[in-house]
Amino acid sequence: MMTSHTMQRPWVARAGVVVLLLFFWEVAARGWLDPMFVSPPSRVVASLPTLFDTRGLPAALRVTFWELAVAFALSVAIGLAIGLAVGLQPFARKSFMPIILLLYGTPQVTILPLFVLYFGIGPASKIAFGVSHGFFPIVMTVVAGVQNIKPILLTSARSMGARRGQILRYVIFPHMIPSFFAGMRLAMTGVLLGVLLAELYVSTAGIGHFTTLFTQNFDPTRLLGLISVLAAMAIALNEIVRRAELHFSRWHSE
Amino acid sequence: MTPSRDQREARLASRAVQVAFLIALLVLWYLATTRWRVSPLLLPNPVVVLRDFWNILTTGEFIGDLRVTLTELVIAFTIAAGSGLFVGYLVSRSQYCIQVFEPLFAGIYSVPIILFLPLYVLLFGLGPASKIALGATISFFPIALNTIAGFGYVERTLVIAARSMGASDLQLFRFVLLPAALPVILTGMRMGFTVALLSIIGSETIASLAGLGHRIVYLAEGMETAAMFAYIAFVVAIAAILNTLVSALEARGRRRR
Amino acid sequence: MRRSNPRVATLAKRMTPDKVAIRIVGVSHQFGEATEARHVRALRETSLEIARGELLCLIGPSGCGKSTLLNILGGLIAPTAGAVEVFGKRVRGPMPHDIAFVFQENALFPWNTVFENVNLGMVFQGVPRAEREARAKRAIEAVGLQDFPQHYPAQLSGGMRQRAALARALSLETGILLMDEPFGALDEQTRMILGEDLSVLLSRTEKTIVFVTHSLGEATFLADRVAVFSARPGTIKKIVKVDEPHPRRPDFVTSAKFTSIRNELYALLHDEIRKTVAESSVSAAGAHPP
Repeated sequence: MMTSHTMQRPWVARAGVVVLLLFFWEVAARGWLDPMFVSPPSRVVASLPTLFDTRGLPAALRVTFWELAVAFALSVAIGLAIGLAVGLQPFARKSFMPIILLLYGTPQVTILPLFVLYFGIGPASKIAFGVSHGFFPIVMTVVAGVQNIKPILLTSARSMGARRGQILRYVIFPHMIPSFFAGMRLAMTGVLLGVLLAELYVSTAGIGHFTTLFTQNFDPTRLLGLISVLAAMAIALNEIVRRAELHFSRWHSE
Repeated sequence: MTPSRDQREARLASRAVQVAFLIALLVLWYLATTRWRVSPLLLPNPVVVLRDFWNILTTGEFIGDLRVTLTELVIAFTIAAGSGLFVGYLVSRSQYCIQVFEPLFAGIYSVPIILFLPLYVLLFGLGPASKIALGATISFFPIALNTIAGFGYVERTLVIAARSMGASDLQLFRFVLLPAALPVILTGMRMGFTVALLSIIGSETIASLAGLGHRIVYLAEGMETAAMFAYIAFVVAIAAILNTLVSALEARGRRRR
Repeated sequence: MRRSNPRVATLAKRMTPDKVAIRIVGVSHQFGEATEARHVRALRETSLEIARGELLCLIGPSGCGKSTLLNILGGLIAPTAGAVEVFGKRVRGPMPHDIAFVFQENALFPWNTVFENVNLGMVFQGVPRAEREARAKRAIEAVGLQDFPQHYPAQLSGGMRQRAALARALSLETGILLMDEPFGALDEQTRMILGEDLSVLLSRTEKTIVFVTHSLGEATFLADRVAVFSARPGTIKKIVKVDEPHPRRPDFVTSAKFTSIRNELYALLHDEIRKTVAESSVSAAGAHPP
């Protein structure tokens, strides 16, 4: 029977659950919930064009996207540099990794006002806060990737006459790549958190400005619309990094 | 095998570097504020910060904000734990349910849920309720996911063995499923707690009238940088204490196994 | 550090310098200082000459130092005493133009294909780009992997991976091949096939091969001479000659000559293995070896 066969595929049921939830939301929002606070999904979707017509919003979205991209690129660059510097030199690793781990464990959200104090209320503080969340996973995974290389691979290269630079380029680097990409996936999560947190805290040109605006004006329709667009952006960015990770780790069967 | 002389020397050397590094930072900080005349509004004198920190502790002025934050935390975590454990257990009862809901939860969790804060503020206002709602929402997911993982992947042989000895549903749960799943669930609860604490402080920073996060923002806006530094140190310390406690509880729970 | 060693003297009489590929003189090795907990005397004083084109097997109980000796021969470890000469040159470090290794573990780079692995060995050695492709192809064909050059190691069986490792070593066109239990992780049938193929390969080249193994049968089948090691700290107890031309026919294994040599090896080894087992249970109980 067609129904039971398709019901057997989990993704169908998953989609069904989502549809069911949207349906309840729709009915509840239209029926008895206060329209000042909640808006049904149909209206949210329908008003997306007006959302994008809001003055300054598309620019704000672009600014936010740009902040995310720059923060991510900087996280990767800084994380890679620090990770290699610390990972390749055993003494540096033993000395500095505990400090790095300690910093990583502190609740960074408490120093968000400090970032704004130092970098201003413009994009710089958002990017800086994003970088401070994003570069840690890269350092961790690069150090791990350099650390857990099998000694036999290094011995083998040495026995064939490889010089230090060649070992770095042909053995250590390729070995580190799957870890590095896993780190990038975590870095993207961190950057999203950092940039969005900072945006919501204070924003003049970014989307934080509009979330505040819609909240204060009791405009749940456009607020939900904006949140959905941002969530979609986050999902897309995460997915891109995840696919890159899969692609570059094809040989990694461990 | 006792560590050789070389290994012990190496460990001392790295310790020395760490200590030297931290001392160097402190010295730089002190010099920056006293000799190099960095504005105290940007970087306050460490001595003043220390004094303010001491004042905060001795006058007990932190009590009000701490109470607000802790109350929000406890309520949010309780809601998240209760619903997370319950939903997680229900889902874990069937492989099909796991296949349907686990990726769903994981997918939602991968989005920065902090985005929902404006919505909660719209619904519940600037008071504690919005922070509790956000904390509970975010904290729910690691607890539910770990509960699913814990109960869902109990070794089948254990269940079959118990059933063959005539165990009832309740006995099965109490003597087989629960002990087997407990370590993973405890880890999930620890993660949930950590994430609840972070999101509550975060949402207090962004949109609140009270609480520790709010206090830091209040001081920042009043340009009382020294007091702000002191409060940041205080919050970091509180968070460290709470996290250590929770990790210790988790470790004790796991050891019982 | 030249001590007068009767064995070296005897060999020196029979082998002229240009016929000697490897000369080992008074080599011994220990790990760590005598006072440290990790101190191990890995190898007692050993001397030996290995002729060009010869396949010499090193066989002995676990921990007797045969792998250590192999690493010393290849310049990966500097011995605490003694010296090794390869083609008249003193060994002071890896000599990629003269010595190539094949290891037991998977030493192929998992992120490169078979072809890329073979190619990379030549990059390290310093072979000019123009020659690399042809040499790689020849080596891959020589080991029978011509249908699999674009495969990744994870996609190959254990036997095929070791063939690839061998191809990489062959492409370096060195005079000496050092093999450390290369077939150790493989099943019996694969070992047999690879052993036969190695014998065929040897008959076609003038390579000198030093081959470490645990298997009596493998040593007897492959070697021109077998050096039997004593228990740790080991040295060469006796050298057994196998007078049979390469390529060895598969039915050599069932011949009387094979059986008698194998039995001789067994007799030599049996006591040493017993000694090693007894010693490891004593050390496990807390005492230190004398």
